[in-house]
Amino acid sequence: MELFANLAHGFGVVFQITWWSPSWLFGLSVPISINILMCLIGALVGTLVGVLPGIGTIATVAMLLPITFGLPPVGALIMLAGIYYGAQYGGSTTSILVNIPGEATSVVTALDGHQMAKQGRAGPALAIAAIGSFFAGCVATVLIAVLGAPLTKLALAFGPAEYFSLMVLGLIFAVVLAKGSVLKAIAMIVLGLLLSMVGSDIETGASRMAFNVPELADGLGFATVAMGVFGFAEIIRNLDHGAEMDRNLVQQKIAGLMPTRKDLVDSTPAILRGTVLGSILGILPGGGAVIASFAAYTLEKKLAKDPSRFGRGAIEGVASPESANNAAAQTSFIPLLTLGIPPNAVMALMVGAMTIHGIVPGPQVMQKQPDLVWGMIASMWIGNLMLIIINLPLVGIWVRLLRVPYRLMFPSIVVFCAIGIYSVNNAPVDVVLAGAFGLVGYWLIKHDFEPAPLLLGMVLGPLMEENLRRALLISRGDWSVFLSRPLSAVLLAIAAGLLVLAVLPALRAKRDEVFVESEG
Amino acid sequence: MSDTPSEAPVKSILPEWVRGPQDFIGGLAMVAVALFALWASSDLQGMHGFSFGAGTAPRMFAVLLLLLGAAVALMGVLKDGPDIAAYSWRGPLFVSAAIVFFAVGIRPLGLVVSAFAAFLIAALGSHETKWIEAIIVGACLTLGCALLFPYVLGLPMPMFPRFLIQ
Amino acid sequence: MMSIRSLAGACLSAFAALGAFAVPASAQNYPTRTITMIVPFAAGGPTDVISRIVTAHMAQTLGQSIVIENVVGAGGTTATTRAARAANDGYTLITGHMGTHAASVPLYPKLAYHPEKDFEPVALLAGTPILILARKDFPPKDLKEFVAYVKANAEKVNAAHAGIGSVSHASCELLNSILDVKPVGVPFNGTGPAMNALVAGQVDYMCDQIVNAVPQINAGTIKAYAVATPERNPSLPNVPTTTEAGLPAFQAQAWNAVFAPKGTSPAIIATLNAAAIKALDDENVRKRLLELGSVIPAPANRTPEALATLVKNEIAKWTPVLKPAS
Repeated sequence: MELFANLAHGFGVVFQITWWSPSWLFGLSVPISINILMCLIGALVGTLVGVLPGIGTIATVAMLLPITFGLPPVGALIMLAGIYYGAQYGGSTTSILVNIPGEATSVVTALDGHQMAKQGRAGPALAIAAIGSFFAGCVATVLIAVLGAPLTKLALAFGPAEYFSLMVLGLIFAVVLAKGSVLKAIAMIVLGLLLSMVGSDIETGASRMAFNVPELADGLGFATVAMGVFGFAEIIRNLDHGAEMDRNLVQQKIAGLMPTRKDLVDSTPAILRGTVLGSILGILPGGGAVIASFAAYTLEKKLAKDPSRFGRGAIEGVASPESANNAAAQTSFIPLLTLGIPPNAVMALMVGAMTIHGIVPGPQVMQKQPDLVWGMIASMWIGNLMLIIINLPLVGIWVRLLRVPYRLMFPSIVVFCAIGIYSVNNAPVDVVLAGAFGLVGYWLIKHDFEPAPLLLGMVLGPLMEENLRRALLISRGDWSVFLSRPLSAVLLAIAAGLLVLAVLPALRAKRDEVFVESEG
Repeated sequence: MSDTPSEAPVKSILPEWVRGPQDFIGGLAMVAVALFALWASSDLQGMHGFSFGAGTAPRMFAVLLLLLGAAVALMGVLKDGPDIAAYSWRGPLFVSAAIVFFAVGIRPLGLVVSAFAAFLIAALGSHETKWIEAIIVGACLTLGCALLFPYVLGLPMPMFPRFLIQ
Repeated sequence: MMSIRSLAGACLSAFAALGAFAVPASAQNYPTRTITMIVPFAAGGPTDVISRIVTAHMAQTLGQSIVIENVVGAGGTTATTRAARAANDGYTLITGHMGTHAASVPLYPKLAYHPEKDFEPVALLAGTPILILARKDFPPKDLKEFVAYVKANAEKVNAAHAGIGSVSHASCELLNSILDVKPVGVPFNGTGPAMNALVAGQVDYMCDQIVNAVPQINAGTIKAYAVATPERNPSLPNVPTTTEAGLPAFQAQAWNAVFAPKGTSPAIIATLNAAAIKALDDENVRKRLLELGSVIPAPANRTPEALATLVKNEIAKWTPVLKPAS
C-alpha cells in the first residue's frame, strides 16, 4: 500500500530526532524532534491568536511568516499549518465566552455557544468545540492523504458559474430558514451585501462608496465589522441599566465543565455532518471555511426535530460549525498540495513561506517534495492531537475567567479588541470604524435586527458579485451558462427546491429563526 | 448623573397609527441607508453591453434594501409590535470614547499610554467601577499587552510616546 | 509684541540651526538605529521575498537591522503614500515596484504621491520577468500562431488577470495594446485564483510573473509562449524570448527598487546604494534571487540616476497603455 508507505514516511519526517547538546549540559546530548517542537509551537501560538479577539488567522500567519524564514522549510511549514488550525480551535473560545467571534468562521459558533455560556454551560460548549474540531481534523487529514488527488478535480470543476450558484444556494438557505421576522433577516442580509460593495470595483478598479477615504479603498474589513456589531455592541448592551442581573446570573450558575453523555449523543451526528460538509466546501477556492460553518449550522437547524432550540443554547449549533470549519481548514490544503495553487489567502501565505525557502509549489510538489508534503500531512494529525490535549484542560481556566467581575472584564475586552483590530493593518481608522459599527450594532439590537445575517451577507456579497460578473464576461452575457453547466444547474435546482419548500404553507409552520442570538 | 435610560420619548412623537414603533423606525432607517447608498453610488457606471458596471450591483442591493426597509416599516404600521427600546447613554459614550482615544493615540502616544488610558475611559462607562481596582487591573493589562503583542507575536507597534524616544 | 515676535524668530532660527546641524551629523553616523523597510505587498509575494533576501544582506553591511513592514492595500498605493509622507531621515524606506512607482500614475487619478516628485531613488534590486501563458489546450502552438489566433478571434478569447493594478493586469494591457486587440479581461482576486482558472481551462491566456508559473509549465498544466525579457531565463531554458519568437515590442518586467522619501540626504542615499550593490554582488544573494527566476540588474543600471531614468521611462511606457483602461 503506497498510502501507508507515504504516511509512514510522513511520520518518520515529523518524528525525526536530532541530538541537541548545548554547552551547559556538559557534553550530554538530548534527543529532540525539531518538527514536533515546531508543531507544538504552532499549535500554542495558533490557540493564543485564536483566543485574542480581532487578530485573525490571515493576519497572524502574515505576521509570523518572517519568523519562519530562519527555520528549516519543513519545520517552518509545519509551524505555520499549526498556527492555522490552532486558530480554528482558539477562535471558538471568545465566541462562546464573550460573544466576540475572532474569526469569520466562528461567527455562527457565537449564536448558540454564547447562549450556552449564559446558561452556565460554557464548559461543555468549549469542550464539544474542541472535540468536534479534533474529530473533523482527523477525518480531514485522512481525506487529504487518501483522496487528495481525485478531490482536486472538484477545485478545478468549480468555475465562476458554479461558484455563483453556490452563493445563491447559500443565500436561499439563510432566507428559507430565517423566521421570527424573515423580512428583517433578509433586510440584514441585503444590508450586509450592500456594505460588502464598499471598496474598489474588481473589474474597473473604480472606487465605490469609499468617499476618498484611503482606508476604505479595499473595502470594510470583515473583522472590523464583526468586532463592532458583535463585540463592542455586546459590551455596550451589557452596560445598559438592568443588564447586571443577567450577567451576575451567568457567573453564579456555572455547571459542569465537561459535556454530559446526553450532550455527546446529541452532538455526534452533528459533528459527523459538519465534518462532511466542511471537508467538501474547504476544497473550493475562496471562503470555503466560512461558508462551511454557516452551512453546517443551517443544516443542523433544518434537520433538528425542534428547531426552536437553536439560538437558545443547542449544543449541535456549536458542534457542527466548529467541526465544519476545522475540516475545511484542513482540506483547503488539498489544492495547495496537489495543484500548487493556493485556494485562500492563508494558503497564499504558505506559498510565500515555501518560496522564501526556494520551494515553489506546483502540480508535482508531492513527487518532488515528499518530505514536505507527507511531513505536513502527518504533522496535522499530531497537531490536532496536541490541540485537544492543550484545549480540554484549558476549558477549566476559560470558564474561571467568566467569574472575573464584568466591571473589570469589559474594559479589558475593549482594549484587547482595539489592539487586535489595529494590528491587522496598522490602521487607526479601522479601530474607529469598529467603534462606529459597535454603535450600529447596539442600534440593531434595540430594533431587534440580528447581526449574524448581516455578516453572512458581507461574506457572500463579493463572492457572489465577482463570480457572477466573471461568469457573464466569459459567456459574453449569456445567462444560460448557469443552467448549461451541470454542477451549476444542480446547485440552482437545489436552491429552487428549497425556495418552493419554503413557500409551501404546510412546511411554513416548521420554520424557525436561524439567526437568533438572544431571547429578547 | 444618572444613567437610567430615559423613557422612550419617541413613542409620543409618532402618530397613533404606528402600531409597532420598533419596526417602523427600524424600517425607515433601512430606507435611509438605502437612499444614502443610492446617492453614494450614483456616480458609478451602470451596465454596459453584456457586462456589469461598477455601480450595477451596489444600486441593485440598495433598491432591494429600500424595498425591504419599506416593507419592515409597513409591518410596523399594520401589526402591533414592541415599543422603541430604552437607550442608555453612559455605556455607548464611554466605550466609544475609549475606542476613539486608542485609535488617535496609538501612533503618537504608543501602546502603553493609549491602552492604559483607553482602559480607564472605558471603565467610566459602568457605574460599578471601583477605581483603585480598575487602575491596578488596567496597569497589569497594559503591561501584559506591552509584552504580548510586540514580543510574543512580533507585531511592529509603537510602545512609548514619540516625544520621549527622540 | 516685539518680544513675542523675536522669541518666535529665535526659536525658528534655533530650529533651523538644529536642523542644519542634525542633517550632516546623522548622515555621517548613519545608520544609528533600526531602519524600517515598507513593503507594499503581503508577506510571501515576489516583492516581499526579494526585499527580504536583499535587505538581510544590506543590514549586515550597514551594521543595523532592517525591519520589513508589510502594508497592503489599493495595489500598494496605501503603503507608498505612507512612505512618501514619512520622515526623510533615511530610517523609513520603501521597496517600490513597477506598479507603485509607474503603473499607478495612470491607474489612480487621485494618487496622493508622485513617484518622481515625492521619492529619492536609491537602488534597483531585481526584476521578475513576465511570461505569456495560456491554458494547456489553447490551439496556438507558438507565439506567432498565438498572435494570429488572438487577432483573428479577438471577440472570443478571454484574458485573465489578478486584479486592476496588478502586474498581470498591466502587462496584459501592454500586450493587448501591442497586438491592437481588446479581448475580454476577466478579473480575479490575486494570482492564485487566476492561475487556478487558467489551469482549469476557464480562461484562455494571461501574462504573469515567472515565480508562480514555472512549476505549472514544467508539469504541463499550462503552457508558456514567451518570456518578455531580452534573454532567456535559466529556470525555463526552453521558453523563447519575445524577440526570438517574433514580438520584440513586448518587453516587460516587474522590477523592484528601493526608494527613500524626497529630501533624504545624498550621503545617506549613497550609503544605502553601496549596501544594496554589495548585496547584489554577494554569491548567496544572487543564487537565491536566480532560484526565483529573478533578473539581477547589470552594474550600470544600479545607480540612483539609472533608477530615476527607469522610473521616468516606465511612467511614459505605462501611461498610454493603462489610461483608457481606468
